[in-house]
Amino acid sequence: MTAVSHARACAAALAGLEGMTPRRLVALLEQWGPEEAWSLVAAGAHPRDPECRFRAAALGVEVGAVGDRYRCAGVDVLVPEDPAYPAALRGDPGAPAVLFAMGDPEVLADRPAVAVVGTRSATPYGRQVAAELGRDLASAGVVVVSGLALGIDGAAHAGALDAGRRAAPPVGVAATGLDVAYPAVHRQLWNAVAARGAVVSEAPLGAPPRRGRFPARNRIVAGVCDVVVVVECHQRGGSIYTAEAAARRSIPVGVVPGSVRSPASAGTNALLVDGCFPVRDAEDVLVAVSLARRRVDRPDPLPVAGVPVAARVRPPRDDQRRPRGASAPPAPLAPPAPADGTAEAMVLAALDRVPTPIETVAVRTSLRVGELAQALHRLVAAGWADAGDGWWSSRYPLPGQRRPERRPVDG
Amino acid sequence: MLATIPSAVLVGVEGRPVSVEVHVSNGLPGFTVVGLPDAAVRESRDRVRAALLSSGLAWPLRRITVNLAPSGVRKGGSGLDLPIAVGVLAATGVLDVREVAGRAFVGELGLDGSVRPVAGMLALADAVGDVPVVVPSQAVAEAALTARSGIESCSTVRQLVGCLTGAEPWPDRQAEPVPSPLTGVVGQPDLCDVRGQRVARRALEVAAAGGHHLLLVGPPGSGKTMLAERIPGILPPPDRGTALEATRVHSVAGLPLPPGGLIGCPPFRAPHHGSSFVAMVGGGTAALRPGEVSLAHGGVLFLDELGEFATSVLEALRQPLEEGIVRVSRARGTVSYPARFLLVAAMNPCPCGEGGPPGSCRCSPVARERYARRLSAPLLDRFDLAVVLQRTDADDLLGGDPGEPTAVVAQRVAFARYRAATRGVVANALLSPERLAVTAPLAPAARSLLDAALRSGELSARGLHRVHRIARTVADLDGAGLLVDERHVHEALVLRSRRSVLLGEAPR
Ligand SMILES: [Zn+2]
Repeated sequence: MTAVSHARACAAALAGLEGMTPRRLVALLEQWGPEEAWSLVAAGAHPRDPECRFRAAALGVEVGAVGDRYRCAGVDVLVPEDPAYPAALRGDPGAPAVLFAMGDPEVLADRPAVAVVGTRSATPYGRQVAAELGRDLASAGVVVVSGLALGIDGAAHAGALDAGRRAAPPVGVAATGLDVAYPAVHRQLWNAVAARGAVVSEAPLGAPPRRGRFPARNRIVAGVCDVVVVVECHQRGGSIYTAEAAARRSIPVGVVPGSVRSPASAGTNALLVDGCFPVRDAEDVLVAVSLARRRVDRPDPLPVAGVPVAARVRPPRDDQRRPRGASAPPAPLAPPAPADGTAEAMVLAALDRVPTPIETVAVRTSLRVGELAQALHRLVAAGWADAGDGWWSSRYPLPGQRRPERRPVDG
Repeated sequence: MLATIPSAVLVGVEGRPVSVEVHVSNGLPGFTVVGLPDAAVRESRDRVRAALLSSGLAWPLRRITVNLAPSGVRKGGSGLDLPIAVGVLAATGVLDVREVAGRAFVGELGLDGSVRPVAGMLALADAVGDVPVVVPSQAVAEAALTARSGIESCSTVRQLVGCLTGAEPWPDRQAEPVPSPLTGVVGQPDLCDVRGQRVARRALEVAAAGGHHLLLVGPPGSGKTMLAERIPGILPPPDRGTALEATRVHSVAGLPLPPGGLIGCPPFRAPHHGSSFVAMVGGGTAALRPGEVSLAHGGVLFLDELGEFATSVLEALRQPLEEGIVRVSRARGTVSYPARFLLVAAMNPCPCGEGGPPGSCRCSPVARERYARRLSAPLLDRFDLAVVLQRTDADDLLGGDPGEPTAVVAQRVAFARYRAATRGVVANALLSPERLAVTAPLAPAARSLLDAALRSGELSARGLHRVHRIARTVADLDGAGLLVDERHVHEALVLRSRRSVLLGEAPR
């Protein structure tokens, strides 16, 4: 890592002051370069800090030491003038005045970027779809951007990394300092994403996870992307922020439809009702990406809070859809179906793709618990179903077969 | 003048013979009790005096000394009222010593001269030795459970004096109710009320048949309590030894006994999660009351909201679960109470209570993990079986098959218990790994299934034996022969308990 220049060290030192917020940082750096801004703050003479709120905090901060700290951590300090600063963020009303980066943030230049985001408490269905989208988008040359959270975010990045070295690199946007891997179980994922692409954050080194940082992070996720895809999201879940942030910037929002019975799809299904375009696979996203990138000049961002997402998001029209060609990633292949009439076939027909409680399967099949258990275990072993505790889900739609209508019971 | 009257006191749930020696001498009138009496015994002076006066008998204005022997045992309870009264009457010559000799007495006196039952009559009547014993009329059924001969009863002091002097006959014992037969439980909730919930009902059946402790995980309203309450109905009735032990415990605790006296059906105890250590385990300063673990002896101990119980209370379950008894320490040594029960517990799957698979509620995986960690691994390890319950949905209410009635399930359970008895254990949960290998050989497919689970790390060696035992019970319920089949193991794998039931995630 090259030495951190004095100007950048000053920017980092400002960002790391006690009580600093993204908004205040923007104000401090609005008319001054980092070095002047720092000396003004340290002298208590900064006009945007009339109460000298930051002067006390700046006392005892040694700019050189801050620069060393960032160098040792292998973290770059980016200001909007830097070539490596994401171009999409320049001119964004919410653009961070200082951005920290691990890896190579320039991977965002000249490549389309798609955010794949969603709830931390995701269903296996959501995780699978996120992983498939991540893999297929990366294979198609799209930078997959996500928040590195548990659930959907992590699955999308894992999928993107799975696509191999020739695929487009991923970019993670963290809400904590870049030396604070959060959640801790994703430390490996962080390192892998940073090694292949980049992990960026506006939080200074050592910043712990804090409630307010996550929605703020989501605006950066939206800001660097051409399209945002929400895979699964609860009613009023955090990903709604990302969708709203995208909508305010006229960035199209795609949504993966889910079961109306699944609480993890309540937020996404509501976004669909609001007019977001539906996403079935990477193909649907790629169509939206090509449309979004054709509009070279993005209209001025609309910094209007509280405008419904529907007003800002236009789904792509049907006739503009690309025909499904050979370039489309192949759908995952289902294993050979169990023979008709077997217990396995009955159980598979009774399983939904969302987790189905074992009691429901028992009622639908009328099998005895022992037979049911055996059939479920065999379906899992054959790759047809996923197992959890007290619930199972099927992994693939049944080929050419609809669930038999359940007989209404005379009552 | 000296009179010696045999009687008994309670130490724990056991009776200890006590000899009540009453000495009446000239001197300053007074009444002294020596020989480690507790407060209740010291108060007996006032009760005995009032009872004698109310019965039209004289209270001697002389010096009365009561010695309780042996002196090493702390004597508690009010059951010594009657022997003290008889002793006073004999020592003052109201009764002839020969009329009194050769009889033991146990009972409390009312101020009006009535003779009242005391807690633990079964144990007390057992303890007095080979002499005939006179007990309060209301307790005669309970005392008769000792299967000893020579039980007489009286309901007032006046009647007792009449009987002892031969002025009137001893009351007829024919009036006493016959002991209830050991079977036939009426008025208990029936399993057929549970619609749907087929897996949960099966888990109940396996738990009852194999003596496997059961954890029910589900949101409020998913019928956890409703299911648990129905387990005593499908459990086999306790054998006579266990029934007597359970009756003793209930009697010592002063709880009402069924007509006929003997506890003939498995008890169901559901202590509140706020229960104290003493309430759960037994003990206390004044009387060593048996705790809930002993009151559940021979039946079901149901702990609803398992996660809310104090850790010390849950840890105290370890000894009874391992040894079938609980030791209660007190100032002078320890007493042990029987405490062999089927442990059934219920809890919400997650902080918000909704639970279900990941993504179905708003609790983050981290919050769920924290919630699951509230139960210590050793405690969770006590449960062989776990079922995840859902709220019964419309599917079940309309299409769910009507539940099998308790009587039918109980028959299968009884048969499985009979099979277990042929293996030398009460239930399969007690089979040692060595006995298990002999009495539950695995079919090749079943063996390879377990081997695969062991290799993949899904099962530990300990977990393997557990699944094997459950599979034995499942096979017994299905009427299978010696060999345990693949499908029995499949079922056992679905029903077994593991930590991940609280996380809703795939087993690891
Ligand atoms: Zn929850």
